[in-house]
Amino acid sequence: MIRKLLVAMPLAAVMVTSAYAEQTPGDVLRGLIDRTQSPYLTQSPQNVQMIDDSPAIWTGYEGGDLFKAPRGPNNVSMESCDFGKGPGVVKGAAVELPRYFADTNKVMDLEGRIVHCMTTVQGFAKDDPAVRTRHGSNSDMMKIMTYIAMESNGMPWNPPLSHPLEVAMRDAGEEMFFRRQGLMDFSCATCHGPDASHKRIRASVMSSSSVPSDWTKSISWPAFRVGQQHARSPQNRVRGCYWQMRTGQIRQDSDAMMAILSYWTDAARGQPAILPDMKR
Amino acid sequence: MLMKKSRFAAGLAAVAAIALLAGCAGGTDTAASADAKPDYTKMTSKELADHLIFNGGFNLAHETQEGTTVAARMTQDNIQKMCTESRNKPTPEQVGKIVAEARASIKYPEGGIKLGDWKKGRDLAWSGFGYRAGHNNDNHASREVGANCYNCHQIGTDRTGGNFGPSLTGYGKTRGNTEGTRKFVYEVIYNAHSYFPCTIMPRMGYSGMLKEESISHVMAYLLDPESPVNK
Ligand code: HEC
Ligand code: HEC
Repeated sequence: MIRKLLVAMPLAAVMVTSAYAEQTPGDVLRGLIDRTQSPYLTQSPQNVQMIDDSPAIWTGYEGGDLFKAPRGPNNVSMESCDFGKGPGVVKGAAVELPRYFADTNKVMDLEGRIVHCMTTVQGFAKDDPAVRTRHGSNSDMMKIMTYIAMESNGMPWNPPLSHPLEVAMRDAGEEMFFRRQGLMDFSCATCHGPDASHKRIRASVMSSSSVPSDWTKSISWPAFRVGQQHARSPQNRVRGCYWQMRTGQIRQDSDAMMAILSYWTDAARGQPAILPDMKR
Repeated sequence: MLMKKSRFAAGLAAVAAIALLAGCAGGTDTAASADAKPDYTKMTSKELADHLIFNGGFNLAHETQEGTTVAARMTQDNIQKMCTESRNKPTPEQVGKIVAEARASIKYPEGGIKLGDWKKGRDLAWSGFGYRAGHNNDNHASREVGANCYNCHQIGTDRTGGNFGPSLTGYGKTRGNTEGTRKFVYEVIYNAHSYFPCTIMPRMGYSGMLKEESISHVMAYLLDPESPVNK
């Protein structure tokens, strides 16, 4: 899994995780940099240097323990839950989300699916702190989400578009991405559209959704945000960008959120995920 | 103020219209109307995007600092609509409409356009504070609302600005602090679509984000011969 850390870890842990030990997030990032020399990917040498020591990796390890532990009123683990690739399958699940789930007749992302598992299989109430607390490295949500996401490190983004609802949500998400609104007349594309690639907001080099080899890093969440000292989710990033745009708050788990996430994941299709990532 | 009210009213009308279309009038702002959910696959992507935004996607009732609600912020006005539709490449016909509308929107200070205090302007040009609403709300009683210029422009040489817009370093020195330049800069800050239809530069006078006095300070920062921008 995470080569650098593995060296320092007890042998037992190495045995458990070595099946995934091919690449670290840093390996994936350096692979992209070698291939593209992108000024977006290379803008922070510290980032490239630190990514394999990201505290989010520990968040993910804690999540692995939570995932496997019997929890909730029903006292069962999450191992029977379906994240899109069948009950209990986490490897490669994160890069194929959001996707359509027949059991809810909805397009759902990883976060929503974790909530679904906790509330249906494990029997947690919707307002139980384990379900309700979504932000911060100390939350069960961020731990479990990071664990599942780490199991897709290095795999190409490949959200399915075989169900008509998946296509509809992806296309609505693109519409939302280019929609200008709010007090500053911004759309997401103002800063992440085709014309924005490698331009700077102050000192930050921007990535564009039309450059998949950059965009994969942009959408690789959970990521440890150095400025906030917490692992953050994709939904947290979307909420933050709308807030900066002076719109108002996009709702957690809403279909609007799923549409944006469907579009942004599709835009990185084929490029390797960096999970967990590290960001400013 | 009039403009604000009519934008807000238009916003409510649009919300109501969409709710009617979706067959769930009265339940506009709930995520819980799942049983009344229309068939997403039968809508165009634009219809679906609007539906998602106005039916549970955003906290529409949330009050904004300008005294409206998020519903008004999410409702597009003509210029936003035309620039979205054309992906910021307006047809010649749209260009005409946008420029005319933008020009008509500009209100000038009584007593003429004057330069304020470049020191205050420097702080405002850097600051990104103000009007953010949602999980946190900028409290305008605690700080001055900023102008965000540095996000997109290099201006002084002591700080790193963005490059979405052209560098404004030495602006007053090269353009001259003349009445014509002052008018142009005022109009660009107030509503840049009057010169650059479908520009990404926010309409900070028109939207009310920047009050007359703040505009005068930012203009001084760009144009005053004493400002470090022109040294
Ligand atoms: C006014 C400019 C602006 C707009 C509009 C904007 N963003 Fe961002 N976005 C940023 C900045 C600045 C960052 C942080 C980059 C950094 O920290 O280096 C960012 C970060 C991101 C990232 C993570 C990439 C990274 O480098 O950390 C994603 C993904 C993203 N935005 C998506 C969106 C979406 C979706 C929207 C529309 C809902 C949007 N953005 C609207 C400026 C913007
Ligand atoms: C979101 C990015 C953005 C922000 C924020 C922004 N601008 Fe601009 N500005 C631009 C762009 C882009 C242009 C070029 C016009 C075009 O082609 O769209 C521009 C053009 C200008 C011009 C005209 C330059 C010339 O002579 O051709 C001036 C003056 C200007 N901006 C001043 C400001 C000031 C002052 C602020 C802050 C109050 C500001 N801008 C904020 C993007 C921005």
